[in-house]
Amino acid sequence: MKNIRNFSIIAHIDHGKSTLADRIIHMCGGLADREMEAQVLDSMDIERERGITIKAQTAALEYKADDGQIYHLNLIDTPGHVDFSYEVSRSLSACEGALLVVDASQGVEAQSVANCYTALDLGVEVTAVLNKIDLPSADPDRVIQEIEDVIGVDASEAVRCSAKTGVGVRDVLEAVIAKVPPPVGDATKPLKALVIDAWFDNYVGVVMLVRVMDGTLKPKDKIRLMATGSEHLCEQVGVFTPKSLQKTSLSAGEVGFVIAGIKELAAAKVGDTVTLAGKPATEPLAGFKEVKPQVFAGLYPVESNQFEALRTALEKLSLNDASLLFEAENSTALGFGFRCGFLGLLHMEIVQERLEREYDMDLITTAPTVVYELLLKNGEVVQIENPSRLPEPSRIEEIREPMIVVNLLMPQDYVGPVMTLCNGKRGIQRNMQYMGRQVMLSYEMPLNEVVLDFFDRLKSVSRGYASMDYEFLEFRAADLVKLDIMVNGERVDALSLIVHRSNSVYRGREVAAKMRELIPRQMFDVAIQASIGANIIARETVKAMRKNVIAKCYGGDITRKRKLLEKQKEGKKRMKQVGSVEIPQEAFLAILRVEDK
Amino acid sequence: MTIKKIIEIKAAAEFKPQSINTVAPLAGAATLSGLSNPPPLALYIHIPWCVQKCPYCDFNSHESKHKNGELPEATYVEALIKDLELATPKVWGRKIKSVFFGGGTPSLFSPAAIDTILSQVRALTPLEYDAEITLEANPGTVDIANFAGYKQAGVNRLSLGIQSFNAGYLKALGRIHDDKQAIKAAELALATFDRVNLDVMYGLPQQSLADALADAKQAVMLNPDHLSFYHLTLEPNTPFYHTPPSLPDDDTSAEMQVEIENFLAQHGYEHYETSAFAKKGSQARHNLNYWQFGDYLGIGAGAHSKLSYHDKITRETRPKHPKAYMEQALQGNAVERESIVSQDALGFEFMMNALRLIDGVPLTLFQQHTGLSLITLEPAIREAQQKKLLVIENGYIKPTLLGQRYLNELLQFFLD
Repeated sequence: MKNIRNFSIIAHIDHGKSTLADRIIHMCGGLADREMEAQVLDSMDIERERGITIKAQTAALEYKADDGQIYHLNLIDTPGHVDFSYEVSRSLSACEGALLVVDASQGVEAQSVANCYTALDLGVEVTAVLNKIDLPSADPDRVIQEIEDVIGVDASEAVRCSAKTGVGVRDVLEAVIAKVPPPVGDATKPLKALVIDAWFDNYVGVVMLVRVMDGTLKPKDKIRLMATGSEHLCEQVGVFTPKSLQKTSLSAGEVGFVIAGIKELAAAKVGDTVTLAGKPATEPLAGFKEVKPQVFAGLYPVESNQFEALRTALEKLSLNDASLLFEAENSTALGFGFRCGFLGLLHMEIVQERLEREYDMDLITTAPTVVYELLLKNGEVVQIENPSRLPEPSRIEEIREPMIVVNLLMPQDYVGPVMTLCNGKRGIQRNMQYMGRQVMLSYEMPLNEVVLDFFDRLKSVSRGYASMDYEFLEFRAADLVKLDIMVNGERVDALSLIVHRSNSVYRGREVAAKMRELIPRQMFDVAIQASIGANIIARETVKAMRKNVIAKCYGGDITRKRKLLEKQKEGKKRMKQVGSVEIPQEAFLAILRVEDK
Repeated sequence: MTIKKIIEIKAAAEFKPQSINTVAPLAGAATLSGLSNPPPLALYIHIPWCVQKCPYCDFNSHESKHKNGELPEATYVEALIKDLELATPKVWGRKIKSVFFGGGTPSLFSPAAIDTILSQVRALTPLEYDAEITLEANPGTVDIANFAGYKQAGVNRLSLGIQSFNAGYLKALGRIHDDKQAIKAAELALATFDRVNLDVMYGLPQQSLADALADAKQAVMLNPDHLSFYHLTLEPNTPFYHTPPSLPDDDTSAEMQVEIENFLAQHGYEHYETSAFAKKGSQARHNLNYWQFGDYLGIGAGAHSKLSYHDKITRETRPKHPKAYMEQALQGNAVERESIVSQDALGFEFMMNALRLIDGVPLTLFQQHTGLSLITLEPAIREAQQKKLLVIENGYIKPTLLGQRYLNELLQFFLD
């Protein structure tokens, strides 16, 4: 066990985590040259295209160190986005060490800070690595200073490398051997294995990636998942190199996969503890929690007959994504669709993109919203996920919105604009800290303001230099009202929003104005109204198009005229008919285009 | 149609690949109930040259560059006659109700050439005695001797591409004539022919409502029996489409249309088709035939035909480029492509034409000219009626005022 090293890599998106992982795998001969595909651990197309890691992956590698000994390295790749912070914490708790990879020219970003603190909290040894030192703009000394200022870890011995060119990567591995402590654990104790990740494989069912803390796991053992209590027969164990390789057992300190004929991903929860049914551990490993979706949106097929196809697609996606929740809902405007719950905005975008790309769905998405907690007059407390389901105001005592703590890290120059942005989003400043060249701002903010467009705005006011991380704080009472949008007198439930009273009138006006731009002219005037309760607060009109007719037609080439009409008709198919009005997909997201006051 | 028939067509396609390249699938043409009588037949003759190409024009026209004399007039006439000779078996015995020389600029051809063509038409087909024979002319290529000559040859209706009476807009449209020539040509045409159409456009680059109306007034003052007012359209594959001029906004051009229609109505011009206005009894018979889904044989470069047989309706086209057309026609191979109009397409094509007519068409015309029962269009008709775009009254099917304005929306109901 003294020659085992379990470590993961913490890095901000684009700081080169996956490239470094590739380089390490290559160096340890995990894959032959011809099998190397850029960023081998990111196996989904979307992961590779967007350069992000969605699911944790792993590689068991053998490395002959400078001291002549062979070490078994388990590299556990972690997702690099705030939406998946729980997965990050589970991955980290399976390790004894973590490499904090920082881009030597860009410096520290908020995501790395948050993950680094998670690692330190879990008692994981953090070793700083400066990547991309081959870039002309690299400034290692400054970045080392920044790591020390911002994160507060000693970076004086930070390893300098370039994952792209390979320079210094051996030093990185030597640092892993030297600094990451070997795992401790007792192979003779009752089995305790942490589920780091789980996914669904079409052939073998659920595959769990586990870190064995104590005990030994072999095929034919009867295992029990401690959170759910379900029992299964272990069929196979093994490791990823990153190719899968069957083994006869997994023992304390090792990281590998378990296949136990589990049919549903929901039974194998990330963070759960695997033990033996016959000889169970007394206590599960600490830190397990159910991940709850924070962001909700309605997903509707453009063509109503695609409802069942959408259900099938969502079911297939959720096979491999336990955090995706969905339930059928019916909108008067959009017909049958699903209210879906996501971990965050990126998760939502990824799901949407996969539905469109892998399942060829044509979707209308409503503006993202959050869960509200309502205290009703009768004392009951309920949660709603869809603004249009808000009960009559007379029945509500109090509406509580989810508050989050947002940590923002940015160069000094952008502090002003970022503060303006946060204040516009009803943020309350909690802290501001100068850390060398960077500033860390901490805000309490309503999550509903953040889910709309905060992230995009943040990137634009800081020219991409600000980064953020957030965590849920509490539900807090606020003066919230429901803003309804009516099109030709008909309330469009899919456009209802819950907003703060202070900016409700402004938002209502702006949404109506944006809708006017987005709805094409039709054969009649289209009235767009915004209302709060019975009060109409804004009215806009899309003037009727005056005519739509082909001026000349004398026999001749009829096919071109036909094509023109077919194109017009096709355009309409991509719109949703609400009453007699054709509303394009993007109009349902009009709120996202509203600038703050 | 029987399967045997289709096999025959396919076999023909193998023997003569240039004449028949596409055959509609079996399903489309399967259950034509058959035409008891073929619809009326018109003859279209395309003259593909212009002095210069206008930047808004997407018709099949080619710049002549060298002016009249140097056009391959004789060869082209020879090709047209050969083309007609080979086409006559398809329309054997059917009377030709109208002839239309379109372009391009047919007035680039000499009266002698037109005379030769018309003589051959009479020799090869039963041209009706009182057939309407129209020739398109460009005000920039007009001379008095020619007009008399065309009339002598048998032309009894002249259509002049005036476009505007305003020198500024004419220039913007890239026309070769100016305002004075426009008026002079119209006066000359009116002095020579009983029936004259003036083509005028509105919604021109930077045109004001007042200027559009001024053109309408000038046109009415000349007192032709027929007027066409077109909303300038930016067609793909034209210079205007690629570098669009600054056009009046939708509201202004819609105002123009309304005011022009009112003005023409006040002066005795009945609005009978989307863009066409006529004095009583002066509707263009040749064009009416298109809109009533009649048959037409089109000869000349790029000409389109629609021809009905007892068991099918076909469309054919000729090579677009004049040189290619002449070569092929003279080799006895003028038809470049022939296809059967599928049953699914027939309903749409009929409506696309018929609903341009303000008074619509008799309900019975559908079966007469397509061989299909109107029931096949029942769902589309009902939907369009519900949207108040279409009405059926007194045995006629016609667009409502709304349906006229939004004809494209109305026609979309008839697309599958």
